Amino acid sequence: MHEIVIDSTSFTYGSNEVLRDINLTVEAGEFVCLLGPSGCGKSTLLRLLAGLSQPTSGSIALDGSPITGPGLDRGVVFQDYSLFPWMTAGQNVVLALEQAFPGKSKQEYRQTALEYLEMVGLADAFPKLPGQLSGGMRQRAAIARSFAINSPVLLMDEPFGALDAITRARLQDLLLQLWDQREGERKTVIFVTHDVDEALLLANRVVVLGLNPGTIKEIIPVNVPRPRIRKDLYLKEDFLALRERLVSVLHENILSELEAGQTMHAQGDGI
Amino acid sequence: MKTVPIVPNLLFVALLAALLWPVAGESVPNHVLTVAVVIHGIYLLRFTCAREESSRSSAGDAAAIVYLFLLFWFLATGRFVILDKMLFPKPEGVLHLFVTELPDMLKGLGNSLILLVSGYLLALGLALPLGLLVGWRVRLFKAINPFTKVLGPIPPIVYIPYAIALLPSFRAASIFVIFIGAFWPIFINTVHGVFNIPKGLIDSAKVLNLKERTLLFRVILPGAMPSICTGATLALVFSLVMLAAAELIGANSGIGWYVKNFADFADYQRVIVGIIFIGIVVTAITWGTERIERHLLRWRN
Repeated sequence: MHEIVIDSTSFTYGSNEVLRDINLTVEAGEFVCLLGPSGCGKSTLLRLLAGLSQPTSGSIALDGSPITGPGLDRGVVFQDYSLFPWMTAGQNVVLALEQAFPGKSKQEYRQTALEYLEMVGLADAFPKLPGQLSGGMRQRAAIARSFAINSPVLLMDEPFGALDAITRARLQDLLLQLWDQREGERKTVIFVTHDVDEALLLANRVVVLGLNPGTIKEIIPVNVPRPRIRKDLYLKEDFLALRERLVSVLHENILSELEAGQTMHAQGDGI
Repeated sequence: MKTVPIVPNLLFVALLAALLWPVAGESVPNHVLTVAVVIHGIYLLRFTCAREESSRSSAGDAAAIVYLFLLFWFLATGRFVILDKMLFPKPEGVLHLFVTELPDMLKGLGNSLILLVSGYLLALGLALPLGLLVGWRVRLFKAINPFTKVLGPIPPIVYIPYAIALLPSFRAASIFVIFIGAFWPIFINTVHGVFNIPKGLIDSAKVLNLKERTLLFRVILPGAMPSICTGATLALVFSLVMLAAAELIGANSGIGWYVKNFADFADYQRVIVGIIFIGIVVTAITWGTERIERHLLRWRN
């Protein structure tokens, strides 16, 4: 289980319609990427799933019960600010564990936190403050925390957006490896990105969102077998065709947006 | 490579020469000499311990300024009396008096510190939780903010005469005005500290489903701490000002009173002694609070 059903959901902020009529069902254990240009409302959709905002209309349900607020059944990793900078990496994980599994001893929390930090390759980072860690290490620690609470659903908002290319690739591999570890117990992952290649590498399905207002333009299944090896992917014709299609859907959006901008300038509005 | 700096050492030698120059009928100014030697000792220690060239040279600059000042003071009041004798006493006399007056001043300091600490801690104990609460609850903030805007900027010194009339004892009155002086900076900065916590961190706390109590103590309080420290430091300066002002007006003991009392008798030697003493005390307090602040904010690079 852990199936997510988004049913004709809209979100309006002030007079600004951010999301319009989103319908999406995510199967348990599925890895779905929300792809779109900035401002398309993909992060807003993730916030709705996290329970940080409430939809203006429609409903979002997890396992049949509507989401009314944040909960530990959903782990969330943000682009920045996931970790509290005044706590060490270890304390950050321990704090999450205390919330998820109350009533255990300090020693047990410490031990579990250490295990999860080791799992992401940060065995030595337990006593270090986030300020002493690199951006990639901070995101590793945030991932360790979200796995430590053992929530069936994982929501990620451009978690690797601020990292350099190599660190990003390493963390993508790490994430896939963690997700794939226990088949049958896979977490349901919803991953927000604006990077086509990232989406294709990670997802079972890519949900492309359009601009103004945010709507689902297309849902594209990625039927590429795992494990996906970057080097090999780009040699396959069908993969390249899929990538081409995704890029064109995304660009359609961006081009029409740019044209709208140009017309405005021609009228002298933006001056 | 450590080169021996010329300027501070030269000035030190010049100061020694001036102090030790034999003059008929006058003894060697021992206290000034001791101070000069101690300062040079500290300077040499810092010079040898410092790893970087820049901190070595700044230690030298600081020492040179002190020597220059002492030299000028000594020459202008002792050797060639350029300055008014009554308003500008000799350094030897002042330093000698400093030593003999120290027990009395320490007793006065005790009285002053009781007032300062009571008023300040009262303000901290009230302004900090209130600030956290008002910063966190939007409705409360909107209700309180207009009053903060009107009451906050009133210079606390204007409360002194009324407080003295209103409250039964001088002690209560000064604690009250120190409290008022310290309250607003802490309160206002705490509220702003809560506002300035990055929204992402609050979201992060929310998705962890933290209980209100945990949220307040482990996220809001440390998140607002940089701003709280700014407010607390500002409040300390305000309380010192308020303490001195209160003592100048109505006390019969304490360090502010000490200065005021001897100024009334035109004993400017003791006035200067009092000012130097206050300077040392304030420096010690500031040094201590900086340590505390550095410890509380050690997570910031």
